[in-house]
Amino acid sequence: VQVNPVKSQPTTSPLIPEMATQEVQLNETLAHLKTESETLKTKLEEERAKLHDVELHQVAEKVEALGQFVMKTRRTLKGHGNKVLCMDWCKDKRRIVSSSQDGKVIVWDAFTTNKEHAVTMPCTWVMACAYAPSGCAVACGGLDNKCSVYPLSLDKNENLAAKKKSVAMHTNYLSACSFTNSDMQILTSSGDGTCALWDVESGQLLQSFHGHAADVLCLDLAPSETGNTFVSGGCDKKANVWDMRSGQCIQSFETHESDINSVRYYPSGDAFASGSDDATCRLYDLRADREVAIYSKESIIFGVSSVDFSLSGRLLFGGYNDYTINVWDVLKGTRVSILFGHENRVSTLRVSPDGTAFCTGSWDHTLRIWA
Amino acid sequence: MSSKAPSANNLNQARQTVQQLRLEARIERIKISQASADIVKYCNQHQKSDPLIMGIPASENPFKEKKPCTVL
Repeated sequence: VQVNPVKSQPTTSPLIPEMATQEVQLNETLAHLKTESETLKTKLEEERAKLHDVELHQVAEKVEALGQFVMKTRRTLKGHGNKVLCMDWCKDKRRIVSSSQDGKVIVWDAFTTNKEHAVTMPCTWVMACAYAPSGCAVACGGLDNKCSVYPLSLDKNENLAAKKKSVAMHTNYLSACSFTNSDMQILTSSGDGTCALWDVESGQLLQSFHGHAADVLCLDLAPSETGNTFVSGGCDKKANVWDMRSGQCIQSFETHESDINSVRYYPSGDAFASGSDDATCRLYDLRADREVAIYSKESIIFGVSSVDFSLSGRLLFGGYNDYTINVWDVLKGTRVSILFGHENRVSTLRVSPDGTAFCTGSWDHTLRIWA
Repeated sequence: MSSKAPSANNLNQARQTVQQLRLEARIERIKISQASADIVKYCNQHQKSDPLIMGIPASENPFKEKKPCTVL
C-alpha cells in the first residue's frame, strides 16, 4: 500500500490565531490516519479473500465420517458451595484444581473423587485457576484483581493460605491465568483489557500486552513446539495472537458477533478455536490468517463458555450456557454428539492431558468427568 | 479549545492503530486449501491414538473402571 505522507503545513495568514492553525493541522493528521486505517483494513480483507479458494469441510469431504459416540459422566465431584467457574488438570492426568464463586479453590483426585486440598480465598468469584507444570502448586484469582500462587503441601493439615504468594496485580478482575512451560512464569488476562507475563518468584512484571479494547476473558499458550506465542479473546469480539517476548500483537481476528469466552490452540499449533456469546465456535488458521470454519446450528442459541480439542484435534468440545456440551467434528463442521447432565450453565471445560477424558465445571456447583 | 479539537490521545491511538494494521498487512499468508490440507493431515495422523475417538477398553481407562469398594 502506498502511504501518502502527511501534508506539509499550509502557509498561514498572520490574521489566523495560532491555536486555530494547530487545530486545523491536528484535524488533518487525524483524518489522514483514519483514512489510512480504513485503506489498510480493506487491503487486509482483500489479501485474506484472495487465499479463500476452498472451505475446510470441502477439503475434508473424503475423510471417513466419525462413528457414534458413547460418552457419559464417569465421576461427579461435589463439594463447592456455589458456581464452579474454572478448572485445570494436573500433568499427572488425575488431579484437578477447581475454583468457585464461593471463594474456594479445591484440588481433587479425579479417580477417587477425594478432595486433597482446599483453600479459601479472601474474595468471592475466583474466576481463574491453573495447575503448575510440576504439580506442586496452583495459581488462582478473580475479583481480588490478583493472581496468587499456593504451593501444595504433602501435609494435608498444613494451612495452604499461610504460604500464599501474590504474583500478579491488575486494575480489574483476573479472568484467566496459565503457567508457561515452567513453574517460574505466569500469564494472566484481566477485565482491565490487558494480558501480562509475570515472574512467580519476584512478582515482577516481565511483559504486558495491550491491544484489546475491552475486558480480556481468556487466553491459551501455544503448544511448546510452536514457540513463544499465545492467543487471547475478549469482550471486544477480537482474538489476538501475541509474541510473548516483544509484547507485540502479531495477528488479530474479528469475526465473532459477541464476547469471546474461550480460546484454545489446535494441537499442531497452526490454528485455534474460540467460543463466544454469539452461540458459535470458530476455527482460525494462523498461516492462512483467517477464520476457516464455524461450528453452529440454528437450534443452538445460547453462548459457549468454554472449548477444548480432543488429542488429535478431530473433536471440538464446547460447554454451553444452556447446560449442554456439544461435540463437533472439526473437519466436517458437523455436530457429532450432544451431552446432557449438568443442571446449570457449563462454565469451564478441559480435556485431560492424555486425552482419555474431559472435565466440565458448572454453575450447578459440580464438576463432571466424561469418558 | 473547541470541543471538536482532537486530543493528543486520539492522535496517539490513531497512530498506533495504523502501525498495527501495517504490521498485520505485511504478514505472509497461505491459501486455505493448503492450510486445510495440513489440518486434515494432522487429524489423520493422530486420530488412531485419540482415546476419546477410538475408545479404550474399560480395563485401561481409570475413569471407566468401577470405583473400588471401601470397607467402613
